[in-house]
Amino acid sequence: MKSWFKALTTTALAVSLAACGSGGGGKSESSDAGASGSGSPSASAPADSGKQVTLRFAWWGSQPRHDYTLKLIDMYEKLHPNVKIEPEYANFDDYWKKLAPEATAQQLPDIIQMDLSYIAQYGTKNQLVDLKPLIDKGLINTADIAENALSGGKVGDKLYGFTTGVNALNVDYDPELLKKVGIDKIPETWTWDDYKSYALKAGSQGLYFDVGLRPEVFFGYYLRQNGKTLYSPDGTQLGYDDDSLFVNFFGMTTGITKAKGEPAPDVTAQIKGVEDDLVVKSKAISNWQWSNQYIGLQSTAKRPLEIAPLPGPNVEKGMFLKPSMYLSIAQNSKNQEEAAKFIDFFVNDVEANKLILGDRGVPLSSKVKEALKPLLTPEQQKVFDYIAWVESHSSPMDPVDPIGAGEVASIFKTYDEMMKYNKITPEDAAKKFREEANAVLAKNKQ
Amino acid sequence: MMRSISWKRHLTGYAFISPFVIGFLVFTAIPIVVSLYLSFTSYDLFSAPKWIGLDNYDRMFNKDPKYWNSLRVTLIYVFGGVPLRLAFALMIAMLLNAKARGIGLYRTIYYLPSIIGGSVAVSIMWRNLFNDEGLVNMALNALGIGSVRWFGEPLAALWMLIFLSVWQFGSSMLIFLAGLKNIPASLHEAAEVDGANAVQRFFRITIPMLTPIILFNLIMQIISAFLTFIPAYIISKGEGGPLDGTMLYSLYLFRRAFVFTDMGYAAAMAWIMLLIVAVVSSVLFASSKFWVHYESKGGE
Repeated sequence: MKSWFKALTTTALAVSLAACGSGGGGKSESSDAGASGSGSPSASAPADSGKQVTLRFAWWGSQPRHDYTLKLIDMYEKLHPNVKIEPEYANFDDYWKKLAPEATAQQLPDIIQMDLSYIAQYGTKNQLVDLKPLIDKGLINTADIAENALSGGKVGDKLYGFTTGVNALNVDYDPELLKKVGIDKIPETWTWDDYKSYALKAGSQGLYFDVGLRPEVFFGYYLRQNGKTLYSPDGTQLGYDDDSLFVNFFGMTTGITKAKGEPAPDVTAQIKGVEDDLVVKSKAISNWQWSNQYIGLQSTAKRPLEIAPLPGPNVEKGMFLKPSMYLSIAQNSKNQEEAAKFIDFFVNDVEANKLILGDRGVPLSSKVKEALKPLLTPEQQKVFDYIAWVESHSSPMDPVDPIGAGEVASIFKTYDEMMKYNKITPEDAAKKFREEANAVLAKNKQ
Repeated sequence: MMRSISWKRHLTGYAFISPFVIGFLVFTAIPIVVSLYLSFTSYDLFSAPKWIGLDNYDRMFNKDPKYWNSLRVTLIYVFGGVPLRLAFALMIAMLLNAKARGIGLYRTIYYLPSIIGGSVAVSIMWRNLFNDEGLVNMALNALGIGSVRWFGEPLAALWMLIFLSVWQFGSSMLIFLAGLKNIPASLHEAAEVDGANAVQRFFRITIPMLTPIILFNLIMQIISAFLTFIPAYIISKGEGGPLDGTMLYSLYLFRRAFVFTDMGYAAAMAWIMLLIVAVVSSVLFASSKFWVHYESKGGE
């Protein structure tokens, strides 16, 4: 009995080791095959054969976006009966958790909605195709798009993402609530000092002024105002040396949170989607976010909201236009040309954009923008006007976020919360954050 | 001749157990070996694993305060939650041990929560009950008490998770119930005749007779508590907040693996968890000879 057991375990071990070995070998083979095969399917697939193809399209967002995107897919399938599109959608956080294992398995969706903070990682690790050759083949029409508008999707000299539209940081606020605390409107030329006094005023009257400022985004803006950047140009360390900037900024926000001008982190942690937004529920006056999100916020709140720029001074140095998101094509896609055609539809088709209505950023195509103008509600028009204003009040964007930016943001969030819970002073947080963030970014040195 | 027959017989035997053996190898044994290998590598899912020796373990023990925090949170969760859960399970088991009409129905009803207990649905329900604007706060407001921020402080939020776990007492309860049924009624009767009251009987008869069951439940519950993931993930939206107060070990491991695509580090964490569970279990086993009472001594 015992010897049998021994024999069995040894064989099991041998088999598992062997399988493990071949698994390792097999993996590198298959990744080679993936790289060499990537060119051939597109070459062998006839341009428009009517051959049945199935494309997987993945995006993140909230319910309104899911709804219209499904309609948009229906529309495309009617126009192209040979194409079937399988949607895959989730919220932002879950989306990336799903995408990373799919990349390992070489099972990425054909068309991937891509974000600024991930494009460097997916691009440089050979998960995405360079879109330039597909554009040169005429599969994606760029005739109505300004020459350098697409450069935001470049990593190095490869175009890994096609920008769906641009957005900018903005303050979306409810003018009625603002009046309630005795402030008429947020002036275009307001400053951080104004912000502080408004927020304290709101807090003293039982209203939140805002729903929290994402540290990496708004401290990033604050750094730009002061001529610095969050990340160094090569992405191997933080881009600022002077911790007093950190202390000033977070001293201010922490003070506002303690004065209840801003909700404590555990309150914001309960917000699951735009439906729960504190502005929607009339508990907060403003939400500081990206301009394309104004539309979702306003349509959920169902009452007029206004847009203000971020506080000065030096708004022009701080503000920038950012590709709100990209559409990318997976390296492992077997239907890259069909995927490119869908992207073309997405960014150039007027009917398609009548569904999107700027939710994925103000479109790049001048033709689309022109066609949308008469259709926009006054609320949507505000976003387009705001982007036009930013165009003349901004400086170029920082380079795309380095690999590890997601982790740095998470470290940032922890220290931001600790400061708000009084567990650490801004001075100590500045040091600790620098230490930990630099340790993450140092991995990009090679 | 004889030999070939027995060989064929063995083959038949292997054929019958092959579903398990193949399943075990493919889904358990090989992944375990691979994860041990990965724990010595830096692996970001996008490029091939790179051998870095003990770096992951070094980082874990010496350079990662979040790791120690997750361990601390998990220990509170385990050693705060498991005794409570077992006490609760024993209490319900005693109640359901009574001879009453329809007791079978009650047993079923009380077991139900643990069938769905660890699941996503219950965690979502828990979150909705104790949200700032949840049912519990609505009730408190209606009574004029005012709402409580149940998940407002790191430690408070952790205790909310512990209470959720206490509520999943069903499986230990059933095992206790079976144990209670095995205590000979004659012991209780004899004690009663001798004038022992209910409390005395509970501590002098019920508890000692149950110690083997308690040991079993304790070990099973401790292991499952160490591995708890779902409630923390659901209730904190996968972030382990506030202030990492609900960042259980498994949740932190998951975040390292799938949020930061740091698979090597996550694999190393998993191996340390295995060691911790093994050590805790063997300490319990070793201690059992001091407190576990077996009816039949020297049965070998």
